[in-house]
Amino acid sequence: MKARFYAGAAALALFAGLAHADGHQPFAVGEGDFSWDSYNEFADKYDLSGQTVEITGPWTGDEKEKVDKAFSYFTSATGATVNYSGSDSFEQDIVISARSGSAPNLAVFPQPGLAADMASQGLLTPLPDGTADWVRDNYAAGQSWVDLGTYADENGEDQMYGLFYRVDVKSLVWYSPEAFDEAGYDIPETMEELKELTDLIVEEGGTPWCIGLGSGAATGWPATDWVEEMMLRTQSPADYDAWVANEMKFDDPKVIAAIEEFGAFARNDDYVDGGASAVANTDFRDSPTGLFDIPPKCYMHRQASFIPAFFPEGTVVGEDVDFFYFPAYAEKDLGKPVLGAGTLFAITNPSEAANAFIEFLKLPVAHELWMAQGGFLTAHAGVNTETYLEDSLKAQGDILLNATTFRFDASDLMPGEIGAGAFWTGMVDYTTGASAEDVAKGIQERWDTIQ
Amino acid sequence: MDNIAGTKSSLSWAVNLSVIFLVVLWLIPTVGLLVSSFRDRDQISASGWWLSPFAVEQNFQAKIPAGEVRQDGEFFVIEGNIFSGGEGEVIRFGGARSNPTVAAAGETAELTRDRSLTVQANGDFVYRSPAEIKRDPSVYYSTATPPDFSLDNYQTILFSNNMDIAFINTLTVTIPATIIPILIAAFAAYALAWMDFAGRGLLIAMVVGLLVVPLQLALVPLLQFHNSIGIGQSFLGIWMAHTGFGLPLAIYLLRNYMVGLPRDIIESAKVDGATDFQVFTKIVLPLSFPALASFAIFQFLWTWNDLLVAKVFLPSNAESWVMTVKIADDLLGSRGGDWGILASAAFISIAVPLIVFFTMQRYLVRGLLAGSVK
Repeated sequence: MKARFYAGAAALALFAGLAHADGHQPFAVGEGDFSWDSYNEFADKYDLSGQTVEITGPWTGDEKEKVDKAFSYFTSATGATVNYSGSDSFEQDIVISARSGSAPNLAVFPQPGLAADMASQGLLTPLPDGTADWVRDNYAAGQSWVDLGTYADENGEDQMYGLFYRVDVKSLVWYSPEAFDEAGYDIPETMEELKELTDLIVEEGGTPWCIGLGSGAATGWPATDWVEEMMLRTQSPADYDAWVANEMKFDDPKVIAAIEEFGAFARNDDYVDGGASAVANTDFRDSPTGLFDIPPKCYMHRQASFIPAFFPEGTVVGEDVDFFYFPAYAEKDLGKPVLGAGTLFAITNPSEAANAFIEFLKLPVAHELWMAQGGFLTAHAGVNTETYLEDSLKAQGDILLNATTFRFDASDLMPGEIGAGAFWTGMVDYTTGASAEDVAKGIQERWDTIQ
Repeated sequence: MDNIAGTKSSLSWAVNLSVIFLVVLWLIPTVGLLVSSFRDRDQISASGWWLSPFAVEQNFQAKIPAGEVRQDGEFFVIEGNIFSGGEGEVIRFGGARSNPTVAAAGETAELTRDRSLTVQANGDFVYRSPAEIKRDPSVYYSTATPPDFSLDNYQTILFSNNMDIAFINTLTVTIPATIIPILIAAFAAYALAWMDFAGRGLLIAMVVGLLVVPLQLALVPLLQFHNSIGIGQSFLGIWMAHTGFGLPLAIYLLRNYMVGLPRDIIESAKVDGATDFQVFTKIVLPLSFPALASFAIFQFLWTWNDLLVAKVFLPSNAESWVMTVKIADDLLGSRGGDWGILASAAFISIAVPLIVFFTMQRYLVRGLLAGSVK
């Protein structure tokens, strides 16, 4: 009896899976707010029946499902099959497969630093001519996206390798509107107000911040975002760029000051949930849940636009939780800097279909198809923002489009050994008590050894 | 009497106690993992697994519909039940998120702006306000939540798409990857143990030397080689890779065991006219069974649990995923936040190795001693 039940359940699950596969395309061509004109034009131009595009990237689980759905429109337009496979350890896998000659056609890099490394070893193929001009004209703040996708090849010549598809905004502070409302707190417009609010919450017996740096082997990265935000809010964009390129040393007083700005929040026992010692131990995926506890364990959480994936099940962004722009100092004339990150497509194994796929990514509809599924922001200025799944995503997109200064996550741009190593561990040391000078000096020494 | 050999020491209770203590200490992580495998992600991040068997007092929020307000003298009053028809028992309640348990059930709590709130244990409430109520007010209350375990994680894993394919793929990888190295290593070990030829010692030294080479070094060159001879990323490729990585230990282990077999038997067989092949198949192989079995267990466990080699040597599409890759890249969710899945995946993937281990474990102890005693 029981065995039969299980067999039945298994059959049901199988059928559910089949039904799922049938409904692969969630939006009918020609319906809704999508830019179907561009799609139809593209479909007329290309016929790639029988060809295959292999893509690997860092998106797994739910995100892979969304990607598969969005990319299925490439198949319906051209007839070419798209095989996307996501990997939890993408950064290692792509290096191994590219070096041993079994690279996929396209790879999706979460970090420009890694793409630049591979370009300099000749493992990437430059994008088709004219892509740079196209990005400059069609992306918001186009030139900066061109610069971020341009690397030196093995001969030292600059080429355009990366086309950005999907952007994350990092300068967001998440809060519970209800908790703010009941306590009578206002959204701070400036960094000064944010600091006042932080003190006010402590005075009234609450804990202002939830900060968690834990992330397995990558523990420490959320702190690098904090430091980068503080860099942008205390120093000029030119200084920020010099820091990324190590023209300004890591132990420069300006960088140390930015680290200490972060320390003012994270190393104050009254400011963070669990006390300063809990910061390095708390997993970044668990840390936002403090916002939703009753009574609230904390009132604010600074994290990138992807964090709603880790909110408790059933949380509605805009009702149960909302965000505001992580404000800048009013007294410093630095405008409204925004920190972001993103993933870029690069060609690892050229083919006709791979080039066509790059053309597909230039279509507004390629972006809209994921925007409408949620969890996706784009810098493509030609998309119809009505297709964003939620208003909150649209608002995040607006933060991106209205930024006076946009800078890419510094740790993703630094060489891997620093940006994905020494900087992370240095920040863990700092939050657990080391001095900012020592930490910065240690990171700079590591940087000196790889130059 | 105390000193007579064979009687129990009076301190045996201390030995027993410390054994129990150590066993419990060693089992704690596994028990924690087992408990976590029955809880979902939100529960895992909300409380520790050691608290999960107990009913916990948890705070909740309920919205009172402002639409049902009625006027009572100069007060605006809303009445109703916070469980809205359901069952429940309120322990404490309050009207502010920052202080959700200010009053015990049955009491009346004075709220800000002269409002008051009374909540009975069964959830009936009365909310009074001197001013008009415009928005839905919130009531916070604490109630005992019974322990909540579910099989959802196991269901997600067992009934997810393509899990059956992944299971078969894992078997397709592990079984040949266990048998092939044993076959090769048994021949090699016999030759190194019982056949005289020049450079035998050097060969043995090289095999021992290979034991210390980390396999990560060989990933890129080996895959390059596979690509150049046309195997590419395939099951044949991964069998060869596992065979190569497993051979040094296999040859070393088997050779040391075989060299310890009694010389008399083998020499008598040779005197009677047996060839080396006959000696190997009729005498040495049957006698070496414990060593073969113990190596088989090692190799099986290691290929079963392997993630790295499978990721490198198999194609990355969903049809060729083995179970470890399927769990890591598909089920753990984006950015790997589903701890519950991870825990239950551990217990599911442990099942087959456990069966292998318990059916062959009587060889394991014997086999572990292989070659160590002459």
